[in-house]
Amino acid sequence: MFRYFVRRVLQGVLTFFGATFIVYALMFANQTDPLQALAGERPLPDNVRQALTERYHLDDPFIVQYGHYMRGLLTGDFGVSLTNRKISEMMSQAWPVTIRLAVLAMIIAVMISVTAGIISGIRRGGPFDTVTLVITLILLALPIVVLAPLAQLLFGIQLKWFPATAGADPGLFQLILPAAVLASLVIATEIRVTRASVAENLRADYVRTARAKGLSKRRVIGIHVLRNSLIPVVTLIGLDLGNLMAGAIVTEGVFNIPGVGFNLFRGIRTEDGPLVVGFVSILVIVFIVVNLVVDLLYAVLDPRIRYE
Amino acid sequence: MRGHFPLKMAVGATAIMLLVAGCGGGGDDSGDEPFVASIGIGEPQHLIPSNTTESNGAEVLAALFTPLVDFDANNNPVLVAAESIETQDNKVWTIKLKDGFTFHNGEKVTADNYINAWNHAAYGPNGMGGSYFFERIEGYDALNPQDPDGEDGPQKAPTPATNKLSGLAKVDDLTFTVTLKEPFSGWRSVMGYTVFYPLPNAAWASEGVLKEDFEEAPIGNGPFKMKGKWEHDSKIEVEKYDAYPGEKPKVDGILYKIYQDQKAQYADLSSGALDVVTSIPIENLASAPTDLGDRFKKSPNSVFQFVGFPTFLPQYSKVEVRKAISMAINRKEITDTIFRGSQAPATSFVSPAVAGYRENSCGEACTFDPVKAKALYEQAGGPKQIKITYNADGGHKAWVDATCNQLKTNLGVDCVGVGEPKFADLLTKLEKKEDVGLIRLGWIMDYPLMENYLGPLYSTNGSSNYYGYSNPEFDNLLKLGSAAPTPEEAIKYWQQAEDILARDMPVIPLRLGQNVYGHSERVKNVEVDRFSKVDLLKLEPAS
Amino acid sequence: MSNVESVTQAETPAAATAPNGGDGGAEKPRSLASDAWRDLRRNWIFWVAAVLVVLVVVMAAFPGLFTSADPSFCQLSRQHAGPSGSAIFGYDFQGCDVYARTIYGARNSVAIGLLATLMSGAISLVIGMAAGYFGGWVDALLARGIDIVLGIPTLLAAIVLARRLSDSEDSGFLPVVLTLGVLTWTTGARIMRSSVIAAKSQDYVAAARMLGAGHARLMFRHILPNAAAPFVVVLTILLGANIATEATLTFLGVGLRGDEISWGIDISQASQFVREAPAPLVWPALFLAATVLAFIMLGDAIRDAFDPRLR
Repeated sequence: MFRYFVRRVLQGVLTFFGATFIVYALMFANQTDPLQALAGERPLPDNVRQALTERYHLDDPFIVQYGHYMRGLLTGDFGVSLTNRKISEMMSQAWPVTIRLAVLAMIIAVMISVTAGIISGIRRGGPFDTVTLVITLILLALPIVVLAPLAQLLFGIQLKWFPATAGADPGLFQLILPAAVLASLVIATEIRVTRASVAENLRADYVRTARAKGLSKRRVIGIHVLRNSLIPVVTLIGLDLGNLMAGAIVTEGVFNIPGVGFNLFRGIRTEDGPLVVGFVSILVIVFIVVNLVVDLLYAVLDPRIRYE
Repeated sequence: MRGHFPLKMAVGATAIMLLVAGCGGGGDDSGDEPFVASIGIGEPQHLIPSNTTESNGAEVLAALFTPLVDFDANNNPVLVAAESIETQDNKVWTIKLKDGFTFHNGEKVTADNYINAWNHAAYGPNGMGGSYFFERIEGYDALNPQDPDGEDGPQKAPTPATNKLSGLAKVDDLTFTVTLKEPFSGWRSVMGYTVFYPLPNAAWASEGVLKEDFEEAPIGNGPFKMKGKWEHDSKIEVEKYDAYPGEKPKVDGILYKIYQDQKAQYADLSSGALDVVTSIPIENLASAPTDLGDRFKKSPNSVFQFVGFPTFLPQYSKVEVRKAISMAINRKEITDTIFRGSQAPATSFVSPAVAGYRENSCGEACTFDPVKAKALYEQAGGPKQIKITYNADGGHKAWVDATCNQLKTNLGVDCVGVGEPKFADLLTKLEKKEDVGLIRLGWIMDYPLMENYLGPLYSTNGSSNYYGYSNPEFDNLLKLGSAAPTPEEAIKYWQQAEDILARDMPVIPLRLGQNVYGHSERVKNVEVDRFSKVDLLKLEPAS
Repeated sequence: MSNVESVTQAETPAAATAPNGGDGGAEKPRSLASDAWRDLRRNWIFWVAAVLVVLVVVMAAFPGLFTSADPSFCQLSRQHAGPSGSAIFGYDFQGCDVYARTIYGARNSVAIGLLATLMSGAISLVIGMAAGYFGGWVDALLARGIDIVLGIPTLLAAIVLARRLSDSEDSGFLPVVLTLGVLTWTTGARIMRSSVIAAKSQDYVAAARMLGAGHARLMFRHILPNAAAPFVVVLTILLGANIATEATLTFLGVGLRGDEISWGIDISQASQFVREAPAPLVWPALFLAATVLAFIMLGDAIRDAFDPRLR
């Protein structure tokens, strides 16, 4: 187990460099004219263009730019954005908010989808299963660009149950509505997967055996089925982080949360290479850690899986 | 742990519920508290005056700084920080400052504060976005030497030999002169723009070098001073500056709340968490009059929207074709149904925001007449397919599609709107002379002069003349206007220049901008000016 | 406790999978498929789903059968007008016939959804299966590859890819399919991988291996049927998600170009004005939901029919 862990961490380092390299390359390929993007539709005077191009090394070849960037990164310096802000400062402001939002969304998603998935998996074809299917389909058919403003309008403005926007330093209460919207993005998949794998496991022979042995139905479901059904769900949680990040771009905009999604979107829109790569670097680390935890959780959930 | 997953989750859930119950919303205003009005803005790019050419930064700087001149209801310049601005020949301007203005750190405002700030702004290597405003001043070229082999060449532009504009000279502590390269009758108005604010001595780390963190808490000479620092992506708070010698504001402070999305601003306004929204998004315009009642308001601004015909496209080279397309567009229908009255039909090439504006100077060409349009179009042999290219990140799809639908119906042609991801992509295609069809463009004035709607857009070397229009007669009239001894005479020449545009139709004027804004019940006397800024001196608490 | 489980499992699955797995399959190679078909024929859910799918596909192929109206004939004067004899769903923001647009939108939406899902399904099947089955360095390499793809912001990659791939003259259809296909396979691959890991340690697999089954046979005959359930579910949902994502790309200016019609485009456009006029949002959303539902039901029914343990 320990050797496995060490190996994964080492692989993680390589993954990190791979991902940052690719993202840097993508940003570079995407860059048509970041200075023009910053200036909007105004013409950019030549002298200004010149000064800024030199300041941000924009006319250096790709590999030189990447070298510049990596050298800074390894000494803990994330550099400055094209609007001359320290990226490390922007990150220390954005990450805590987004982590709070994502964790809350994940908790909401798991609570709802595991409960609903198990019930509809046990009673497949029953009224609860049908209703859940219809609701998940509605969630699926409404893109988050529709869902987020709708939720804000209904619960924030008309019913006034929650604040309409969350702001830069939101409390848990302000985050519930955006987190629920974000959760809806992954709930559909998670319910369906839980349901499918519960149904699958219910038919497994060990369940029949356990039942035949005289174990109560509750115990069979609560211990055997649930644990085996959670494997794909746990996998999804690791993956859903990616979906949550994509959804965060819209949700953070609607609820005015200046988090990671917002900064990424801004960076992509203004072709701000250092800004995007900085945020993505941390994002990759989060993915690596979460997926490591997920893989370790497999072993906990399924004794048949062993890492060496 | 294994068997108890569901139980653990249930415990977690209750814990969250309890936390939620603990966090109630708190009421914020009580009797003696200073009255702070909140205004929604986007994150400014910069808060250095000479680097601020976008509206969010300009809005905040307007609270912190006082300009030399401001503009009255008719857009004529009025002196604010200046005691007098005089000239004999429209070339050498003498500016005398009012005594008594101080920066928020107590420094007296002197002529040096202006000269140093302007030198820094115009110095090429500083890369200030607003440096082109100083182009007209003598010595600007010395501060911005040309790259000897063009931008892409291996050689770098030489470092300027000097960092001072030769056209700026101090007379005494409160007086300085500006010498222009060529006479320009409208210079007084130009100096009203954000980039011409003075900077205190405290702003400089060393001579000509601005302190790194100056823009985090700018020190200005305006009616409000910073309260704390610029909290990026969150808020900027300013409070009344007690030693301000000019007209005092009626609110004690202003909280600029930073939003990423205008829709979120409107959501906060509707739920009472924000006092002023200066631009209500179109999707809320149907419900805004009912949501806000008489707190929903409109005022004209300086935005001018149009489509241009790249001159390298032969199919649009006939003026009749351009005219016919223009006549086939029902502007009123689009401003009413797509923009819900947040824009107005344009019938001229300049905005009513400037003196010299004449309604319907575009004449018949901007009047909707589908029958005549079709006849004219067929007679001139216009292309069977029309294309309109726009940047997809600016919310232009709806009206471009609608315009296309009108052209399809009224001209019997095929029409397609093509969205490029960004404006820069559109410019790239123009440079490569690709068939982009009509291009979507817009203009916001820098200073309220008719010339600002003409020079940059249509003169042969105009900085925003993306379609390549060139007419020596037009260039000449523009020059005559700029050199005219009085603003009235200048306007005469500029109007003649505009008439040439109406004849040549290098672009189709489409719409004029309107501020559609709203405010909460906490405040009154909310006015949004032609620069789309809130009039901070008029803003008052409601009770 | 877990000991008991694996022992009991060891005995029964081998017996249960015998008809399609071990010796039984050798005699009648197509028995699984014909069994499945016999099952399916009796399943009403399968028929409802199949009819819906066929209907949508016909709609996508021959929209003219369903409406004679021109979806691109739009007049602002009819903006948000209610339903009438000629336009039974009313008109949208641009004054276009909502019914006609919904019918004509099926082609792009269904084609993009299906092709992109097939593409990402194929990628994720191969990668997930290989990673889970072979384990070791193959797994490490592929799993880290997945991490890398996951770490790249979808929006950024989509913008760059779509921009590089697309030529301003085409409709933008192919770039969208490729972009979605290349970027959305990670979920499926991870799910496949974890199901395969779980399935391959089952004792019947070990038994089959001892009987001399090769890698391919083990993977596709024994492991795949037992690992497919969550995978199929993820794919059917991905189908819906892909249709919706196309709209987002189009709105960013890197998706479908010009006057192409799709459900995603119409849904996003109508969502801005949903307070004023819900119909232009509701109809395409309903068609999208019904299509996804049909594919989900079809997927469920086929999977059930092919599941050896349900026999």
